[in-house]
Amino acid sequence: MSIVMSALQYLGYILIFPGFLFCFLAGLLLCGIDRKLVAKMQKRVGPPILQPFYDFFKLCGKETIIPAAASSKTVFLMAPLVGLASLVVLQLFIPVFNFTAFSGMADIIVILYLLLIPALANILGGAASGSPYAGVGLSREMVTIIACELPLVLVLLSVGKAVGSATGEGLTFSFSSIMAYQAAHGSLILKASMIPAAVAMLMVIPGETGSHPFDAAEAETEICEGLLAEYSGPPLGIFKLSHAIKMLTMTSLFVALFLGGIGGGIESLVALAGLSGAAAGGVSVLLEAIVLFLLCVVLTVVCISFVHAVTARLKIEQIFKFYWTVASGLALISLVLAWYGL
Amino acid sequence: MILFNYIASFFLIILGFYTIVTKTNLVKTVIGLSIADYGVNLLIISIGFNPGGTAPIFTWGELNPASFFVDPIPQALTLTSIVIGACVTAMSLSLVMKLREQYGTIDTREIRRLRG
Amino acid sequence: MMTSLYQHFPIFSIMVLFLGAFLIVLFGNVKPLRHAIALLAVTASLGFLIALVKPVMLNGEIIAYWMGARAPAGGYAIGIALEVDALSLFFGLLIATAVFVSCVYSIQYMRFDDNVGQYYTLFLMLAGGVMGLVLSGDLFNMFIMVEILTFAAVALTAFRNTAKGALEAAFKYLVVGCMGSTCILTGTIMLYAQAHTLNFAQLSAFIPGHMNTATVVAFALLYIGFSTKAFIVPFHPLAADAHGAAPASISVLISGVLTKSGIYGIIRLSYFLFQTMNLGTMQFILVFMGSVSMFVCVTMALAQHDFKRLLAFHSISQIGYVLTAVGLCTAMGVSSGLYHAMNHTLFKGLLFLAAGAVLQQTGTTDLGKLGGLSKKMPWTTALFLVGAFSISGIPPFNGFASKWMVYQSIYYKAVESGNIGFVFVTIIALVTSVLTLASFVKVSQSVFFGRLPKEYENVTEVPWGMRLAMSLFAILCVLTGLFPNVVTTYLTQPAANAVFNVANYINAMLGSGYAESVMGAAAPAAQAVTYVEVGLWQPVSWLLLLIIALLAVTIVAIAGKYDSVSESAAPADSKYDLFFGGEESVYSQVGGEDLFWGFKHNWRGYFNFMHELHSGIVNDYALWAVVALALVTLYMLIVF
Repeated sequence: MSIVMSALQYLGYILIFPGFLFCFLAGLLLCGIDRKLVAKMQKRVGPPILQPFYDFFKLCGKETIIPAAASSKTVFLMAPLVGLASLVVLQLFIPVFNFTAFSGMADIIVILYLLLIPALANILGGAASGSPYAGVGLSREMVTIIACELPLVLVLLSVGKAVGSATGEGLTFSFSSIMAYQAAHGSLILKASMIPAAVAMLMVIPGETGSHPFDAAEAETEICEGLLAEYSGPPLGIFKLSHAIKMLTMTSLFVALFLGGIGGGIESLVALAGLSGAAAGGVSVLLEAIVLFLLCVVLTVVCISFVHAVTARLKIEQIFKFYWTVASGLALISLVLAWYGL
Repeated sequence: MILFNYIASFFLIILGFYTIVTKTNLVKTVIGLSIADYGVNLLIISIGFNPGGTAPIFTWGELNPASFFVDPIPQALTLTSIVIGACVTAMSLSLVMKLREQYGTIDTREIRRLRG
Repeated sequence: MMTSLYQHFPIFSIMVLFLGAFLIVLFGNVKPLRHAIALLAVTASLGFLIALVKPVMLNGEIIAYWMGARAPAGGYAIGIALEVDALSLFFGLLIATAVFVSCVYSIQYMRFDDNVGQYYTLFLMLAGGVMGLVLSGDLFNMFIMVEILTFAAVALTAFRNTAKGALEAAFKYLVVGCMGSTCILTGTIMLYAQAHTLNFAQLSAFIPGHMNTATVVAFALLYIGFSTKAFIVPFHPLAADAHGAAPASISVLISGVLTKSGIYGIIRLSYFLFQTMNLGTMQFILVFMGSVSMFVCVTMALAQHDFKRLLAFHSISQIGYVLTAVGLCTAMGVSSGLYHAMNHTLFKGLLFLAAGAVLQQTGTTDLGKLGGLSKKMPWTTALFLVGAFSISGIPPFNGFASKWMVYQSIYYKAVESGNIGFVFVTIIALVTSVLTLASFVKVSQSVFFGRLPKEYENVTEVPWGMRLAMSLFAILCVLTGLFPNVVTTYLTQPAANAVFNVANYINAMLGSGYAESVMGAAAPAAQAVTYVEVGLWQPVSWLLLLIIALLAVTIVAIAGKYDSVSESAAPADSKYDLFFGGEESVYSQVGGEDLFWGFKHNWRGYFNFMHELHSGIVNDYALWAVVALALVTLYMLIVF
């Protein structure tokens, strides 16, 4: 009986929260809010907030055309699915406040590599289409990944060191110790030494999600969305969905790394309200989801929408230079500070 | 006196390496390899040498604690090393011949299709 | 003393290879016989070593075998010895596996060549040489084996002597390789002058207490000698030339096996013979050379336009990881370094075999000329992708598992020792990994994806024997990635334990108590080896989750008309043409060496400098070797 229950529970994690359904709804909603806000900032009316949902369902009703020049049909069709699935699984590993669905299975270095899989699926799918636009897009996408990797590595190493030296382990990569530390001592962003790392991480978010001004890889006006140039119908819809979910992933990764420790407050609030047992658990998970989503919205607005509205697209070599100098420099400051125990 | 052997052997090794580094003629490169090899052989033999020792050749029963002879192991090693040196020379010269056929030159500065 | 049968297995596993080489010279003209002998020899060699897993790996036994039962008399080890501890067996298994797969591949890969009999002779000589090197318990025999393997490797590099650059590569390799061998011989003989023994165990007992200028110089010579065999920077151009020019089945051995023999030599030297690894200065030189190899070679690889040459540079980059991890002198470091060495053999073998398949079917490995081959060679593409994901460290393949352990051990070492230099090594290692991914994306796009050139319309898939060989490697790549705990428990940790228990090694050879009696208080005590992991990763659970998620996505997608694709029925239908901004579609392949222009542009100074530096002139490479030798000798003389 209990096996069935836990199997159902895990299935719930995968399919509902923080898995598919949550990713689907929250991701597309984030995307809609982003589009609406950018429009408002640019004094346009903008699409309705639910427009990404309409787009997705519309694309799912369209025909999928495989170009005659496509070198591998299988890769062309499978790439979107693998990308989406790996993103959803990745979302399961990122702890949501104190709620850990599967965070005991992977640490922050693993997350770094798991983040590559959706991008790689995108790249291989585009490469398999045989389009020269995809070739150019692939080149730029890969350079963007290289560019983001260095600051991201520095951020993760400094977090690992900061938490490790504070807890006396010396070093940790595991999410659960990072969460436990933040629950006990407050969010990491409150530490002065971690602020440059947090800023660097904020800079990485638009690069990883491929939004303005770091969207040279899919520059619509120039290389016709690059990797997606030949995609149509449901596969295109799934790529768009993955793109939206990646916003959620990156922002919730930021929340997990730097804004942890808020979940404890929510649980005590629920306890204050006089709930207990399963009901309390359910309510607090729901509340956590809502608070998480709100935080993600704020982060999206700050890093993606606002930046999008005020900047123009950078050239690919400028993107690379920006990340390897400004963002990496900031993260390096944090690493050195954390190293010397500040 | 054996010190001179040591100095000479290291001099030969260094001379061999110097030849390999500076000479642009492939045959001279091969000669450099051989010179370095001879240096090593000289070193090995010198290490096994005992002043006043006899040749380490004994039949059954002849060997007693009083017999004084040079260390036989380095001699065995030298033989092996000489054989290997001969192989190196043969192999590299055959490669030089083939290279001459293909590239039309034995100048190292022109045999550089693989680079970068 | 009662010797069990299995104590003879190490010498059997070497001799069957040499015997096979000899028999092929006699009967090599008969095609089926030749294949039968070669396959039998490599299978037997692998079988003998697998039979040793239980006593050596699991029971921790160390096999000391005296040829002709000439056990040491009067404290002097005169006879020739084989000594097989877990470290030797680990490398032996690695070699036997690679040789076996490469042999299976060769049967169909070499079928159009002349003089295949000589090929197999040299092939088995090479295999026997490496096997003898790692199982030997005698410094001079190690030198002999090094010479045999260098010779066989040079001859095999030049085997297809009409191929572009084969002779040139072979000559360069011969010159610098022989300089390395000369160094090894000089170092060996200098140690002999000090200790009057060539037995490895006896030397290990004697030398640490008797360090003087001569032994330090000998150490530097031996270190550089084995470095040329491992091809670490500054010897990497030779690797690039030799791997690129040799037949693919030989590139597998040169990259997967020869480099490992160099690493093995360095471990034996620094951990056993001189026992200097606990010194920070010694760790510095290994980690430094490792990180430089890692980074320089990955950037060199990014600039290549030849498939095999690119793989060759990556090979040295991965060896850099191994050397760095081994140089940490922590249990976790050595264990993860060996794990990565193993994985490197598997995935790099797979990649070279895939490159060989492409070369055989299309006649070129130039990235600028190929494209779209996945249409014609789907199996090779899939297998190549497994290898590419493994080397780039994409979970759940094996490269990730070992790299992840390497990062942990480096960063933990940094924290433990308080030395910020190791932090930068960690960063270099992580950045190298993503650059590796980038260059394999380049290969995928330039060779297997993108547009298919007209002249390759008639290319077909390679025969089943070659696919079988590649699949063997691919399966091993997946398995070792999915079950890292099994690999570490049964293979790498026993080997790492052996590295940290030198006294056992000495005593197994010369009788218990020998190490203590010779070395006195300096005898290395048996250590309780602990493995610190600072992160966690459960690949099987992750894969399970991914499969569930993928199933769910697929079901939903198929329900949503995902599978109702429309493909081109008539070739004239313009609907299925590629989008060209309204213009008429033309053949256009984006690929080749400059694919990552955005990255290379920022580093153009560095890349131009590197291109000038790797001039291709053998004198320059020899000069690098001499300079490296001089610097290492000077460094060692200063610090010891």
